[in-house]
Amino acid sequence: MNSKAQKSSVPQAGLLDKIRTGNKAVFEAIQDLGLVLIIVICSVLLGLASPVFFTRINLENLLFTSTIIAVVAIGEAFVIMVAGIDLSVGAVLALSSVMCVGLSVNQGLPVWLAVLIALGLGACVGFINGLAVTMLKIPALIATLAMMSITRGIAFIYSGGRNIAPIPDIFADIQAARLFGIPVMILFTLVIAAAAHFVLSSTRFGREIYATGGNPIAATLSGIRSNRVIIAAYMISGVAAALGGLMITARLEAGAATAGFGTELTVISAAVIGGVSLFGGEGKIGAVLLGVLLLGLVQNAINLLNVPPNYDYVVSGLVIALAASVDVFRRNFAEAALRRRSARVKQEQAGSAPKPA
Amino acid sequence: MRTDAANGESKMPPETIRTSAMPVEPVLVARGVSKFFPGVVALDNVDFEIRPGEVNALLGENGAGKSTLIKIMSGFYAPDRGEILVNGKHLSADPAAAHKAGVATIHQEAHLVPSMTVAENIMLGHWPLARFGIIKKKEQTRHALEVLERVAPELSPSTLARRLSPAEGQLVEIARALSEDSRVLIMDEPTTSLSSREIDRLFEIVGNLKSKGLGIVFVSHWLEEVFRIADRITVLRDSKFIGTRPAAELDHAKVIKMMVGRDVAEVITHGREPGNVVLEVKNLTRVGILQDISFNIRAGEIVTLAGLVGAGRSEVANCIFGIDPYEEGEIRVNGKVVAPNDPTGAIKAGIGLLPEDRRRQALVAQLSVGTNTTLAMLDHIAPRWVILKERENQIIREAQRSLAIKMASPAARVSTLSGGNQQKVVLGRWLARKPSLLILDEPTKGVDVGAKAEISEIIVRLVSQGTAILLISSELPEVLGLSDRVLVMRSGRIAGEIFRGSLSQELIMKYATTG
Repeated sequence: MNSKAQKSSVPQAGLLDKIRTGNKAVFEAIQDLGLVLIIVICSVLLGLASPVFFTRINLENLLFTSTIIAVVAIGEAFVIMVAGIDLSVGAVLALSSVMCVGLSVNQGLPVWLAVLIALGLGACVGFINGLAVTMLKIPALIATLAMMSITRGIAFIYSGGRNIAPIPDIFADIQAARLFGIPVMILFTLVIAAAAHFVLSSTRFGREIYATGGNPIAATLSGIRSNRVIIAAYMISGVAAALGGLMITARLEAGAATAGFGTELTVISAAVIGGVSLFGGEGKIGAVLLGVLLLGLVQNAINLLNVPPNYDYVVSGLVIALAASVDVFRRNFAEAALRRRSARVKQEQAGSAPKPA
Repeated sequence: MRTDAANGESKMPPETIRTSAMPVEPVLVARGVSKFFPGVVALDNVDFEIRPGEVNALLGENGAGKSTLIKIMSGFYAPDRGEILVNGKHLSADPAAAHKAGVATIHQEAHLVPSMTVAENIMLGHWPLARFGIIKKKEQTRHALEVLERVAPELSPSTLARRLSPAEGQLVEIARALSEDSRVLIMDEPTTSLSSREIDRLFEIVGNLKSKGLGIVFVSHWLEEVFRIADRITVLRDSKFIGTRPAAELDHAKVIKMMVGRDVAEVITHGREPGNVVLEVKNLTRVGILQDISFNIRAGEIVTLAGLVGAGRSEVANCIFGIDPYEEGEIRVNGKVVAPNDPTGAIKAGIGLLPEDRRRQALVAQLSVGTNTTLAMLDHIAPRWVILKERENQIIREAQRSLAIKMASPAARVSTLSGGNQQKVVLGRWLARKPSLLILDEPTKGVDVGAKAEISEIIVRLVSQGTAILLISSELPEVLGLSDRVLVMRSGRIAGEIFRGSLSQELIMKYATTG
């Protein structure tokens, strides 16, 4: 009896290997495809409801307006992956916006230097956030909330609360530029996303991000300087937000201290819809982009279907809640289905196991 | 008295006689119990019984079905076949009904509310209420005192639960679980977080309850404890009932054989030749915790830190590895000073650490087996920035091969592995670095008997390859079997050094507890 059980357990393990690894691939595909599916269904419904939806202009506009949120969300994803949260991104966006215009128009600095300073300020804010979280051990929510207020305040002080305009021509030029018929801004966003994906999936820093987010103690005891990793993640978020500030400046054709109010919540929603775990250690850039796209789609629908502006926030909120719950349901369902399948195969291989009563 | 009892009287300890021979009705019977989860047979036609006034130890490797059986006996699961009888009456699957019928269960993890008092915890959910849901404090305290009387008369009902030691918490849980008409007490690994003195206290209480006629189910991974306390031993293996035998008829080897279904080889450790000094610890002092610790470890030598929980063993390891700061002293590895408070530096100096709490300190649950294996090797697999896949895969394959890690694939999540295989992943993380000094803090904690033996073999192999090993273990057989030297710690000091030749349990306990 005993020796027989041992003998049969050897090939069983080999077969199970394949099934389990197969399962994992299937599981992940379902997870990613789920969001794609939701987006496709929403698009089809929207196409039926509004003839304008499937026009080139509208689709291009949809992607174009999503670029800013996408760039900021990618930065935010790094922070959420190390189990943090960055509420200061909207304010950094505003600061970057007023600084890059103000420094070049009012202070007469060359545009490239103004842009560099704006990005550098974003990195600085991220660095301070990181220090506050790692060294002072202030909860990320509070630290970045304080930073949000301070940064927004500085943007208002610097600009006097007025929009700074006109902006240097180069902004408008880049905004309007196209490559292969596609707006450069969209291509630029995709390049950033690809770079972020590469960093996370194939570099040492990416590993350190996932490990630190998943279990900071284990990461530290494996020789990873997790505090540095966390600070770096906040700096990436700061720079990405500052980049978003440059992009919004081009769109608004002004440096605006009021720009990006509430952006932090939109990007956090996008990241979470895209499957970045708020507990850290999990997430993919591709899925974050899908999350951004879904939110963009909702905004587009609100515009196309003439939803009264005052209902805007309620509708957005409902859609976020719906998408998130569909996502949770789908994951639980998919996971349970796979568990059942692997259990069934295991049982078939065991052969003699009785059927579940 | 029947005749066989009279025969046994001369050679068996008195407890065993009373329990194994008293012609009494069992207080709880599990008859032909089977439980199926989708696709998995968790229990297959298992028989189990508890007599009043006995301790029946329930043993089995991880996944053998112990937890499922306990959950069925305490009413959390309904059996798919067979039934549970308490005092001859059918038990329905309902925890409240089970408790009412007299089955008290202490679960593995503590379930106390830290911010509530002992009295509030004992009465949790059954608070004596006045109108408008106001709790009658006096009555609560009186009730709690009554209950505490049986197990922990020295505890104050007004102490906050968070101020309790793990042992005291355990006693409060026992007090809470027991009611006036409890007939059976089920204890699921009650000793895992207790020091040996606290275990003695717990066993005293168990003995006390036993003499009052309670039947006790005791689950533990530690065979020493089991043999100290059990009257009978029941073994489950692969969801099946293997047997129930009086403890007096069994020994460690027999029980292990019942559990794993084969003989487990004893580790042989002789024939090692220590080389150069690898680790030097000089006058290590951490105020209030460690006092003037000095010792050396040579290449190819296993030095064990023994002592009670709280004696400062893990703290020494934490100082060496740079986790904890220290005020005075110096640590050198291969002659070079290791900077304090910097684990990254400690790793670069050639130290590896297998921490005590695998889940909290070593593994990143969300990541794959492979990624966890190479977590301490990032400087090697990504010397510039980008990870060299081939180099990484080679390390993973090598670890998998040399440690016989059983896994679905390197891409599977590490949390899907068994405890023993998880521990091997953490070991593999360090082996790839070929550390000069490997610190092993409770390396076989929470792994089953088979994996325990394998891990011991790996340790021996490492030492014979010239690694210096600092071992911390609460398991005496491991300490006695593996150590070249034992440093016994007591309240933050090294109380004694014992060489292999004169190593004995008694000597270790003597240094650990007295003088």
